[in-house]
Parts: sequence; structure tokens; C-alpha cells
Amino acid sequence: MKKINIRFKVNGRQADLTIAPNKRLLDVLRDDLGLTGTKEGCDIGECGACTVVLNGQAVHSCLILAAQANGAEIITVEGLTQNGELHPLQKNFLEYGAVQCGFCIPGMLLSSYALLNENPNPREDDIKEAIAGNLCRCTGYKQIIQAVEAAANESNE
Amino acid sequence: MIPEIGYIRPRNLHEALEALGASRETVRVIAGGTDIIPGFHINSRRFRDIQTLVDISGLPDLTFVNLENDGLHIGGAVTFTDIVKNPLIREKYPLLAQAASQVGSVQIRNRATIVGNFVNNAPCADSVPPLLVYDAVIKIQSTRSEKTLPLEDFLLKPYKTQLQPDEIVSEIVLPPLKKEYRGEFYKLGRRRSVAISRITLAVLVKLEDLVIEDIRIASGAVTPIGMRFRELEEFSKGKTAEIDFLKELSVKLGEEIMKITGLRWSSAYKLPVVQQMFYLLLRRVCNR
Repeated sequence: MKKINIRFKVNGRQADLTIAPNKRLLDVLRDDLGLTGTKEGCDIGECGACTVVLNGQAVHSCLILAAQANGAEIITVEGLTQNGELHPLQKNFLEYGAVQCGFCIPGMLLSSYALLNENPNPREDDIKEAIAGNLCRCTGYKQIIQAVEAAANESNE
Repeated sequence: MIPEIGYIRPRNLHEALEALGASRETVRVIAGGTDIIPGFHINSRRFRDIQTLVDISGLPDLTFVNLENDGLHIGGAVTFTDIVKNPLIREKYPLLAQAASQVGSVQIRNRATIVGNFVNNAPCADSVPPLLVYDAVIKIQSTRSEKTLPLEDFLLKPYKTQLQPDEIVSEIVLPPLKKEYRGEFYKLGRRRSVAISRITLAVLVKLEDLVIEDIRIASGAVTPIGMRFRELEEFSKGKTAEIDFLKELSVKLGEEIMKITGLRWSSAYKLPVVQQMFYLLLRRVCNR
């Protein structure tokens, strides 16, 4: 299999890689770049655990070939923290007890992050729609929705 | 596991067509990848022969939505999110925007393309019933030819279309629609999001006073592929949209679907739902 060169920005840093074309973005993030915050769940685009933000949009990194992300700007959960300070979404997920086992949380955070970037004043329904593709089997969704609402309010203050 | 494959990223449609036309290998187009990649994972027979993928996602000459004299042109790599957010589509072809907004999840809609939806031609493809009632025409290009044909003729049977290995569906054209047409779309899944449709219905009606001047009816998921009901449409034209007739038409739609699919384990449930929902849709579009 002929390897190909790709380059994209992850969390503001340039990454240059030579990869096999059958590698998914998820594989490259986790295995080549060591960004294991992005989780592998169902592998078929149903659970949302692998969600990252690609050029401003929430996407499944398990359904995108790494080669398809060539030239893109990607944000993973590792990129939410700025200068050691948690993102308002992260703070409020902790505050509202939105995290139990934590496996779905990186995906939840990035779906919420993409939502708030596009719509800083989401209604409850907007939040529900944004995270409809992210499954959580521990906490239930109520605390997660509250945390996103609180983060939005905080950012708008 | 994704098999060992080659990957080509063309810079424009022309290069994509050349890549498809030139290769002796089994080359397949990938756009959003939301069917192909899960297909690889379950080792689906439909994708087993792929040797090289030609990536058309985001190609600038396939991501347009333009209103022209002959209708609305939607490029071959336009995503469901593009459809949902497009004010022209929401205003002029609302059933399509409505169907698109219920596909998968935000993550799926951000990647999946509307053309991919019907090229894959799953029975449950949500965009197909609205496209069919809007009389969608598609443009198919290859290095050797360029043709247009009605979407209805393009769709052959489940997971099978007229598309040849070296061809790309480069655009969809939705003909202009008189503003007197009123429409409704209905989707039933097992849950509200990330749900494969169990039933989809689309209907467009043009009334003259209370007389049905034109009606277009399409279903998905309850038929082998998304399809129009031409005989029922003809039967309805010229009839008065009274409650009794709308009931009769809804019963007939159910009977027609049963004729096509035969009795199934789910028929006892789906048949009355189809009939009831279609009746409600008809009442809404006819203001009865």
C-alpha cells in the first residue's frame, strides 16, 4: 500500500505525517500523535465518542480517512485547555457532575464546543440536537445539558 | 478494519473523472464516507472490491447551491448540513430541508452528502422521497459522456442504481415549483436521532379550490427503494379533497405498499401507521 503525505493543524500545531491511506483520522490522532483523549467507541458513527472539531464542525474521526483531513484545522479535547486553564465547558461539566466514567465526555465537549462557536446562546433544544449523536450511558443527559447552558451563560457575561 | 486501499485526492471534478476513467483497478468515489467506512468495518460485500478511493468531499466545483431559471442546482458534494442551512432550500423546497435535518446526527450531517444518500440507494435513504416529489433530475458525468435523467429512473433496486464505475453524479436539479404547492414530510424511526427510518412519506398537493389539480406521493423504507405512486396520483387528480376521499386515498396507499412488499412481520404495525400518518399529512396539506 503506497503511503501518502498529509499535513494538518491539530490544536494549533502543525502535524506532518506519512501514513497508509487506510488510516482513519481517529487512528492518526491516537496512535501517531498520542492524543488519546479522542475515544474509539462504536467505529460506525453511532456513539460519538470519537467526535473532534474539523474546520469548525463536529465530525466523527472514526468515519474520516486521515487523508481526507489533509489541510484541515482540527481541535481535540486536548486543545480545549488554554494555558493550563480549563475551558468553561470543562469547568461546568465538573461543576454540574456531568462526568461519571468519562468515556463519552471528550466527544460531548467537542460537540458542545462546535455548538457554542456557532450559536453562543443555544436553547435547550439546540443543545439536545447538538449532542444527539453522543451517547452517554452513565450520568444521563440532564447534567450535561445544564453544564453546556452554564458555560454559554458564563461566556456571554 | 479498513482494507488496504489507495487514495486519490483530485483538485477538481475534471481530475476526479479522469481518475475514475483511467484506472483499471476498482476505483470508487468517497465523499462523506458515512456509508463506505462503516461498510468496510462490517466487511460489507458492497465495498469489498474497492482498491482505490477518489475523494470528492468538499471539491469547490461540487459544493454549490445555485438558483437558476431551470430550477435549483445542488452540487454533488453538498452535505446535509449545507442543505439544512440553505435559506433557498428551506424556503422553496422545505420537505428536503426537513428530511435532511432528521438524517443521523450533527456529526453525520456535517459529512454525509445528499448525492451519496441516493447513490448508496438504501431503502431508508431519507432524502429520496422529498427529491422524488420535487421531480429531481440528476446530472451524471464521466470523461466519455454527460447526461441528465430523472432521479426516479436512476434508482433501480435496493443499493443499485444506473451509475457506472467511471461516472459521478455532479448535480441535482430541482425544477421550479409553483408556490401553490403545499407539502408534508414524515419520518418514523425507532428513536428521534441517529435513527434509521422505518417509514418515510412525502406528499405535495396543488389544489384548485378544493379540487386536486396535482398530487405527488412518495415513500421510503416501507418500499424496497424510495418510489412514487403514479397510479394513485392519477386516480386522485380531479377529485375533491373531502375527508372521505382523503381517507380512501390513505387506505389505498397502504394497500399499494402491501402489494409491493407482501406481508411482513412488521406489517401489522406499519400498515396502520402508514395509513394514519398519510391521512394526517393529507389533511394538513389540504387544510381539511
